[in-house]
Amino acid sequence: MAEHEQNHPAKRPATAARRRSDLGTVLKAGVAALVVLGVAPFFLDIYTVNVLIRALLLAALALTVDLLWGYTGILTFGQSAFFGIGAYACALVFTHWGFGAGWAILALGLGIVAAMAVAALAGWLAFYHGASPLYGSIVTLALPIVLTQVVFAGGRTTGSSSGLSGFPTYYWSIEIWFWIAGAFLVAVTALAWLFVRSDMGRVLVAIRENETRCAYLGIPVSRIKIMLLVAAGAIGAVAGFGYAAFTNVVAPELTGFLLGTELLIWVALGGRGTLIGPVIGAILIDVTSSYLSGSLPFYWKLLVGVLFVVVIVALPQGLMPEVTKLWRRMVPGARRTAKAPTIEPAPVREVAPRVEQPLAVRGVHRHFGSLQVLQGIDFVANEGELLSLVGPNGAGKTTLIRCLADGYERSGGDIKVFGRDLGRGPPDRCVALGIGRKFQTANVFATLTVAECLRVARYRLEPPSIWSSDNTLALPEAARRIVEETGLAESLDTEARHLAHGQKQALELAMVLALEPRIVLLDEPTAGLTRNERERIGAILTSLTERERLSILLVEHDLDFVREISSRVIVLHQGKIVLDGSVKEVVGSELVREIYAGTALDGGGGGP
Amino acid sequence: MGVLLLDIVTTAAILFAVASGLMIILGVMKLINFAHGAFLTIGGYAAYATTQLGWNPWLAIPFAALVGFVLGLIVERAIVRPLYARPLDAILATWGLGIIIGQVITIVFGRQVQFVQSPISGAIEFLGQSYSTYRLVLVALAAVLALALTALLYYTRFGLNARAVIMNEDLARGLGIDSTRVRLTTFGLGAALASMAGALITPLISVDPNLGLPWLVNSFMLVLVSGISIPGLMVASLILGGAQVVVSTYLSAILGGLTIVVLAAVILRIRPQGLFSG
Repeated sequence: MAEHEQNHPAKRPATAARRRSDLGTVLKAGVAALVVLGVAPFFLDIYTVNVLIRALLLAALALTVDLLWGYTGILTFGQSAFFGIGAYACALVFTHWGFGAGWAILALGLGIVAAMAVAALAGWLAFYHGASPLYGSIVTLALPIVLTQVVFAGGRTTGSSSGLSGFPTYYWSIEIWFWIAGAFLVAVTALAWLFVRSDMGRVLVAIRENETRCAYLGIPVSRIKIMLLVAAGAIGAVAGFGYAAFTNVVAPELTGFLLGTELLIWVALGGRGTLIGPVIGAILIDVTSSYLSGSLPFYWKLLVGVLFVVVIVALPQGLMPEVTKLWRRMVPGARRTAKAPTIEPAPVREVAPRVEQPLAVRGVHRHFGSLQVLQGIDFVANEGELLSLVGPNGAGKTTLIRCLADGYERSGGDIKVFGRDLGRGPPDRCVALGIGRKFQTANVFATLTVAECLRVARYRLEPPSIWSSDNTLALPEAARRIVEETGLAESLDTEARHLAHGQKQALELAMVLALEPRIVLLDEPTAGLTRNERERIGAILTSLTERERLSILLVEHDLDFVREISSRVIVLHQGKIVLDGSVKEVVGSELVREIYAGTALDGGGGGP
Repeated sequence: MGVLLLDIVTTAAILFAVASGLMIILGVMKLINFAHGAFLTIGGYAAYATTQLGWNPWLAIPFAALVGFVLGLIVERAIVRPLYARPLDAILATWGLGIIIGQVITIVFGRQVQFVQSPISGAIEFLGQSYSTYRLVLVALAAVLALALTALLYYTRFGLNARAVIMNEDLARGLGIDSTRVRLTTFGLGAALASMAGALITPLISVDPNLGLPWLVNSFMLVLVSGISIPGLMVASLILGGAQVVVSTYLSAILGGLTIVVLAAVILRIRPQGLFSG
């Protein structure tokens, strides 16, 4: 992402005024938290302070779980692994190599680097295009199990099952350790807060809500997930290092799967996707556990288990949102609504005159096992052409669209986009070549607002900031027209899930056009729309081809609509192109009539 | 060499028996039951109760299955049913359920390790080796279990309904199959199988409130690698269980402990749908 950040200012000068961040609020809250933490040790007994230090460090770890799971939707069991790596880095260096400021810095550095390397490896394994969310969880489950066994295998060096203890460390007063842990947690929370409220933070939520849509908007989902895991690993390692340096004890349990699941419990109870909830959850539960471990250990754990199940079943968002609701009810005016950004025209990009055709498809075929869904597909699409793909159900229309939008889809054949080979690559490569795809069913990000959805769609052209959000939203003319003409402009701060069906379809179309594609693939864009809405979309599509010279590929069942707006029609039947011609030719064709009547060739498969 | 082969076969049989309950639930309900380990523990304590009551040790197996089935029905109704649309949350809720079961067992039976009387003790001569009789009996029992499960899925009304739900739940419902009931029965069956497996393995290992935990992750991995099919699970248990035995024997027991997890993660990366599916 770094490279994007660098070329951003060149594209559109960002001034402080057009960026909105919570920096002020976060600074105030952070200072307040630091003051509380600063005086707390003087009012608490030594035991509580002791217990709290551990809880503060674990809360930072829980925060990383919230970033991964609560915000991005990666259910992780493995954050304990990074905590363990940091802790063991400290214990191993201090035990075997030496102790002192230099050694401490080295140990911390080693811990962070090792955790980041492990995270990168796990992320590479877990997150690839087409991976199921479950597979990511499997990798994060395997990680702590493997690491615990590595510790066991380490024999004397790692202390095996009994761990390491009694290594030299800084015997600072307990208040100092408390302040270090507290300042670390406040810093991590503040940074995480700015991050999740930034435009990049919205991208994380978009990935959680609809990873497929993200991929087809050209967002490098896997890379973002890997980077996030690497960052979370680094934070975890620092927390683990602090834990080992303070307690002077490390044990294999610190890297274990059970701690990993405990983190999930804290986050779930506190409230996933709220940052503050998990921090409070971690601190409260861990401290209480320490207090009750002597007197009521089993009953307390039972209670936490019951609470956990009840929250997951009945209150999946955890307790924090309930607290917030209560607060808003009691304190009128506490509700802050972020102002929707103002829409402005995106800078018009020079489109170099192209010699090559936008799309040249040769010999594309696709089979599932022995089933041939597409065979011998040859066609070209020209600039300014609105090309309709028609054919009965099962003719292979949607499969063809898929082959054009995802390089991995086709079984064979060549696709050239403006003369460049589409090759084998994930959807974001296709987007980079200028292809935008709209899905058959409205595919938007349910909990993001209309403006946020559009902003996410601009990811590739205007990389989002990771610390702030932009007060303006630049959209190309085509997307702007849709937003204005379909009433979306009035609901920029409405969450997408509250939109009417037609508006969702329009929003997704606007998102695709926000990519500034040169080729637009539309799979039944008018399904379920009213006549009025359909006409409006039709007019926009025609003007896109006429004024901006886009080439549009349209899959459509409504033959009247096709007749009105197409400049050319391709008829697919049983996976082959049977006709490629003008509207007139197709409408007058006996063959097409037979196909739709189900009498053509060898029977055909059902009518429209 | 003979002992190694016997170890591989008996380990595979044990893994198959332990994982089958998890697979039935995942196959029909598309739900990962992280309380699976806790149901194994329940079976272990059912066997312990059988010993304490002075019953015939063989009775532990049906008794454990019954306890598991009844508890499974209750759990499905109370916890699992609201979570069908949220599969990742179901993992967490059943994990929480596992904590609850573990703590209740601890409160009732205490934390200490218990022992269960084995239905058969001693060793017999097999393929020229002296080998634990009970482990060999387990192989026969696992084979019976595989046959019984296959028969249940392919020759009973429940099996037909369950397969219909697996293939296309909406259509099955449209055809008048009570999918809610299929799910309820399936969860009960899966819990019963887990509990029964817990009773089966307890003569080999001691009983404590965390008995099931180490088996949970391995079962989970085996089921995913199997591609959710009974022969698939048999082969997966044989390959991964075999690898575990070989690594434990020739390299180290510690590395053996992570063989299944690591191999499964790699296999699933290459074949996400598992080894034996379509």
